[in-house]
Amino acid sequence: MQRYIVSSVTQAVLVLAGVLILVFFMVRATGDPARLMLAREAKPEQVEEFREKMGFNRPLIVQFGDFVFKAFTGDFGNSLHYRLPAFDLILERLPATVQLAVVALIMAVVIAIPLGLIGGASPGSPVDAVGRAIGLVGQTVPPFWLALVLIIVFAVNLRWFPTSGRDEWTSVVMPGLVLSLGTMGRLVRLTRSSVLEIMGDDYIRTARSKGLSDSVIFFKHALRNAAIPLITVIGVQFGYMLGGTVIIESVFAWPGLGRLVAESIGRRDFPLVQGIAFFASAVVILLTVLTDILYALVDPRIRYE
Amino acid sequence: MFARRKLWNIVSALVAAALVLAACAPAATPQVIKETEVVTVKETQIVKETQVVTITATPEPFKPQGKLTVGLTTDIAAIEVPYAPERQADNASKTMYDSLVFPTADGNYEPALAESWDVSADGKTYTFHLRKDVTFHNGEPFNADSVVYSWQVYSQPEVTYANNWTIAETVEKVDDYTVNISTAEPNALLLPYVAVGWAMIPPKAHAEMGVQAFAQSPIGTGPFMFKEWVKGDHLVVVANPNYWRQGYPKVAEIEFKFLTEAATRVAAVQTGEIDIAPRLTSDDAQTLLGAPGVQIIRYPVNRVYYLAFNNLTTGKDTPLEKPEVRQALAHAIDMDAIIKAIFSGYATRAVGFVGPSDLGFDGAEPVEYNVEKAKQLLADAGYPNGFEMDMACPDAGYPKINDVCQAISGYLNEVGVKNTLDLQEANAYWEREANKELPPLFVDSWSSTVPDSYGRLQGALGQGETYANWYDEKLVSLIEQVAVTVDTDKRAEVYREIQTYMRENPPFVYLYFPEAFEAVTTRVQDYKPRSAENYFLWDVSVSD
Repeated sequence: MQRYIVSSVTQAVLVLAGVLILVFFMVRATGDPARLMLAREAKPEQVEEFREKMGFNRPLIVQFGDFVFKAFTGDFGNSLHYRLPAFDLILERLPATVQLAVVALIMAVVIAIPLGLIGGASPGSPVDAVGRAIGLVGQTVPPFWLALVLIIVFAVNLRWFPTSGRDEWTSVVMPGLVLSLGTMGRLVRLTRSSVLEIMGDDYIRTARSKGLSDSVIFFKHALRNAAIPLITVIGVQFGYMLGGTVIIESVFAWPGLGRLVAESIGRRDFPLVQGIAFFASAVVILLTVLTDILYALVDPRIRYE
Repeated sequence: MFARRKLWNIVSALVAAALVLAACAPAATPQVIKETEVVTVKETQIVKETQVVTITATPEPFKPQGKLTVGLTTDIAAIEVPYAPERQADNASKTMYDSLVFPTADGNYEPALAESWDVSADGKTYTFHLRKDVTFHNGEPFNADSVVYSWQVYSQPEVTYANNWTIAETVEKVDDYTVNISTAEPNALLLPYVAVGWAMIPPKAHAEMGVQAFAQSPIGTGPFMFKEWVKGDHLVVVANPNYWRQGYPKVAEIEFKFLTEAATRVAAVQTGEIDIAPRLTSDDAQTLLGAPGVQIIRYPVNRVYYLAFNNLTTGKDTPLEKPEVRQALAHAIDMDAIIKAIFSGYATRAVGFVGPSDLGFDGAEPVEYNVEKAKQLLADAGYPNGFEMDMACPDAGYPKINDVCQAISGYLNEVGVKNTLDLQEANAYWEREANKELPPLFVDSWSSTVPDSYGRLQGALGQGETYANWYDEKLVSLIEQVAVTVDTDKRAEVYREIQTYMRENPPFVYLYFPEAFEAVTTRVQDYKPRSAENYFLWDVSVSD
């Protein structure tokens, strides 16, 4: 078990370092932000002076060394546009993104898992039809389109929810639903197919032959085993959600990390892009490691291999 | 069995713990920057007492009323005017500041923080006489020291719009309420730059707070005072009770909401969540026609789109060097058709680099679309069979620019200028434009924040300028003449000369000035956006 965890964590650290190197050089591939940040009328001398002042005219490798050195001390530098520490800006946006991700995850789990379980236990039933429809819609409908339709129907026409922003609790409902739908679709299908598969397994037949009742078989044997693949999917999906979602946050004007990173890339706000990329990768990797560990705890076969 | 149950319990506990942790997180709201609390409890009580006395003694004084909500198209990155990186941030920031002079809608300048000003005989020194009754939002008096200090702070190279301030070579205090602002050469742009860019800040507070803290909760003399800025979400400013313009501002509070998507702004203005939805396309505007409580406003924008030529690098020694060829390309493009098809007719044909609202605009006839004439001119220049040349555009860099570029590319092909259109990622494109690496034909646009085209003329055609890709000695000297001619009538004369010259020796094909669409709720009165997509909200009111 220990070896398993150590290898997971080592891999995670390597991936994180790789992400940082990649992001550092990628954001610089199209040039520096000096011209973007100054007025179009600024003279070439003024642009040069600005570069000098911000350190953009140093060799890339020197800038990288500087960045790595500071990153080790937890300093991601100041955002060029906001002129504030990048990390503070990330922390400021985090609650909005976490709130949206948690709401979306809860919606997905609460709706998808019961539908998947019932669908798997009684394939062809009306509930199964609903579940399969959600599975299809969730994975095929573009979030951007769905978001606009929801806004027009529920905000503009019915006035049940605000169109956008993050004010009262009702403002999280629509973005949460749109964000959850993809995961919801995946979970319904996965739950359903796991249950279907397990119900045909030998140990279920054994349980039946022991004379156990259907409900005992379903809740004590099938359910627990069906949960194993779900943990992986939920963990990974939650990680992606926590990285922020550009489209949904933009349409609903949700002040989260996704919009921040999209805007920062456009502005070549290097320190902020690096900070967010680091943070988002760290979260995804952390959740993946946690999922690995959980998985091993739930399924002994993995530990012993 | 027991072991498995234990395991299951651990799993459940972990999942529960993770959910609890995650659920706890959103309870912490984003860090909200609040105005500095300067009033002590005791003083507040005193203020209350005097208020009671005033109410009983005199009729109730004018009070700002209601709340105005403005949807901005981007999350603003700075709320200090000289750092405001784009128009939206600039508009929002300007509610908190004043400059020495105020730009009127018709292109003149009227007194603001300066009551009057004189220009020295050599045209290099402006002497501003300041108002004596102005205080900053924190109570600090506004005087000559504030002007000198503001200039010292914002003329530094790291400031985004330092170029608005470095136009002045020296800023000197004469006495407490008089300052001299001098330029190296007589410079007609001083007043416009001061008007749009010189936001005045309080020296003491700025020095005490430091650059970073001041940027988060700035202090000016403006009609509104900073209240709250939640990044990525909204900015709130409240009426300045001691504003020097008597009887203003009219609204008690303005909230700027950052709504990146046009569709979101369209929805939000219909529900009344916002009162002003700027930067809509004509299609968005169409969908809002007839929506209850919403009016659509439309106005020309001072931004010229142009097909540029290069004679410095990639276009050197190509057919473009001949004026007939450049004239031919102008005749080859059916701009009216483009405007009709792509902008539903909502754009104005450009006849030059000087815009309809700019000083000295001569209102010449647009170049006629005439394929035969274009071919004739090409033949006269020695290219009866046309030629091959590359063309580039900033991919989605401007509204509908890809469609416009495809149309232009097609029209040029029709007269024998064989080209393939290269749509390049916009930021990389502009980088190449500055490095003069774009193909000899490329499309771009240039706006102006003042009703004067000097900035874009100099920027696009001046010698050694960042974005200049064309050099014409005569034009360079004409543009220099504009800069040093301080007299308005004489400058207008030079502008007319420039326009004539730029039609005979066109450095660009002039395409169009776009039109802006905004949706405004009917409760808003006196909202008057200007051609630079800027506005001042101190005289705007709302009815409920």
